[in-house]
Amino acid sequence: MIVAQSLTKRYGATTAVDGVDFTVRPGVVTGFLGPNGAGKSTTMRMIVGLDHPSGGRVTVDGKPYARLGAPLHRVGALLDASAVHPRRSARNHLLAVAATHRIGARRVDEVIATVGLDAVARRHVDGYSLGMRQRLGLAGAMLGDPDTLILDEPVNGLDPDGVVWMRGLLRDLAAQGRTVLLSSHLMTEMALTADHVIILGRGRVVADAPMSDLVAGADADTVQVRTPQVATLTPLLWAEGATVTRTPPDLLSVAGLGAPRIAQVAAGAGIVVNELTPVTRSLEDAYLELTRDDVEYRSTGTRRIAREMPR
Amino acid sequence: MSAVVVSEWVKLRSLRSTWWALGALAAVTIGVAAQVSSSVSFYGVPGVVSQDAMQDLGVYVVTVSTDFGALVVAVLGVLMIAGEYGTGTIRNSLTAVPTRLPVLGAKALVLACATFAVATAAFAVAVPVSTGLLAGNDVDVHLDDPHYWFAVLGGVTYLVLVALIAFGIGALVRSTTGGIAISLGLLLAAPVALSLLLGVDPPAWAENLAVLLPTVAGKLLFTYPAAQRWVDLSAPSVDGAWVGEPWHGALVLVGWVAALLAVAGLLLRRRDA
Repeated sequence: MIVAQSLTKRYGATTAVDGVDFTVRPGVVTGFLGPNGAGKSTTMRMIVGLDHPSGGRVTVDGKPYARLGAPLHRVGALLDASAVHPRRSARNHLLAVAATHRIGARRVDEVIATVGLDAVARRHVDGYSLGMRQRLGLAGAMLGDPDTLILDEPVNGLDPDGVVWMRGLLRDLAAQGRTVLLSSHLMTEMALTADHVIILGRGRVVADAPMSDLVAGADADTVQVRTPQVATLTPLLWAEGATVTRTPPDLLSVAGLGAPRIAQVAAGAGIVVNELTPVTRSLEDAYLELTRDDVEYRSTGTRRIAREMPR
Repeated sequence: MSAVVVSEWVKLRSLRSTWWALGALAAVTIGVAAQVSSSVSFYGVPGVVSQDAMQDLGVYVVTVSTDFGALVVAVLGVLMIAGEYGTGTIRNSLTAVPTRLPVLGAKALVLACATFAVATAAFAVAVPVSTGLLAGNDVDVHLDDPHYWFAVLGGVTYLVLVALIAFGIGALVRSTTGGIAISLGLLLAAPVALSLLLGVDPPAWAENLAVLLPTVAGKLLFTYPAAQRWVDLSAPSVDGAWVGEPWHGALVLVGWVAALLAVAGLLLRRRDA
């Protein structure tokens, strides 16, 4: 369990993290989302004691990280997959980290096997792809068999197999009752992996809710209906209190009425329906809506850029 | 603490650059001693050459390599800590040991032990090689002279302390290039600049200032006590000089190490990594 209370980090005049409060619970995968510069990585660094908070506090299992005693047995962190000496082999890197907690070579070889690096573990890390470095970073996080895992963008650079593997592993770890905090920019991936979502924007918490609440706000749901008899069906749906948006030639977007009721109405009037698809709001939509005002680096329209280009 | 020492030893030995540096230290120590020993003699010196002069020459030829050896161990010292900042490995080290100071202490200890071991081994070869070659030039060095061995031990001590000074500088600036530049500046440029500033006959206060430089203080560690004063700044020639005995020189170097590591430790605790 990770608890942040009024956690704040200032760098000179900039406030990277601005009094955030949140709790990351065991047994679920918690997704940590936010635009670049929103303070995700800074918050993660403060959790593991690399950065000192300017105010407030953050604890893991009730204690600040530095007071955990043997921290690798409590918390495993993957903050930056590239933070390994390039001229050292993966195995030696892990042996050095393991030695601080008297973890033996057998456990090192075990985690190497878990992340699938057996074949290359004795090679220098500078020959590794980003995906292999992510696997190495995860191996390092799992060395002490910790109850809490903190992973910053762990699926970056993984191949599709690796992404599926990582998703399964994180869900398994959470199912074992561990606390898993995971940041990512990949919304679809996050939607598949996380059970709970904390969204940061400009250093503040803009959302902290179960995934199901975010993606399925009832009023945001619409049903997509395709029918050749658009003109007949639309007034009938209005009569039921639905809001109907028409996309020519034959597509209706219906809000405020469930798919079963729409099917009943159409069947009652003898209307042919070719397609009836409930559309839930995606995590991406929810995220973009929530962080609309908090994006630090926004791309301007392409037209304006084109106009400003020198000829 | 001992677990952190093991970890640092694994890190040090698993980098090829370590072995290059330690190999270079051994090669320089033995090679320079052999080369200089084979090319000096008292031929052409009028009168009877005293045994003191022979002992002094024997010490000189076997320790003169430390000028170069110091540069090698300084680079190793800087790399050991600043290299972790350059590659980001320091974040692994500090999340594993969040109290932080044991990391600094363990690194310093491992660096000191590795330098001591290799320097001792190198001198163990350099001494017989050097005395043998000198004997061929009719310079007869007596190895039953404790002052000779104190001077050799002084050379080893100097290399260890220089490595630690550079390590402290590396820990402060957290950059490989910056750390190496400052360390080499302190070891190479500072004594030259100071001697140019002071001229040929510096006043006592200036000598007292100069001897605070690691290279100058270090020379005291391996100067034969009855030296003919033919060497340099470090010769305690001026009345009113505070520093003259070998242990004075050691104290100055230990002072550098203690001051640098104290500040480095304080900043390591305070700074974000």
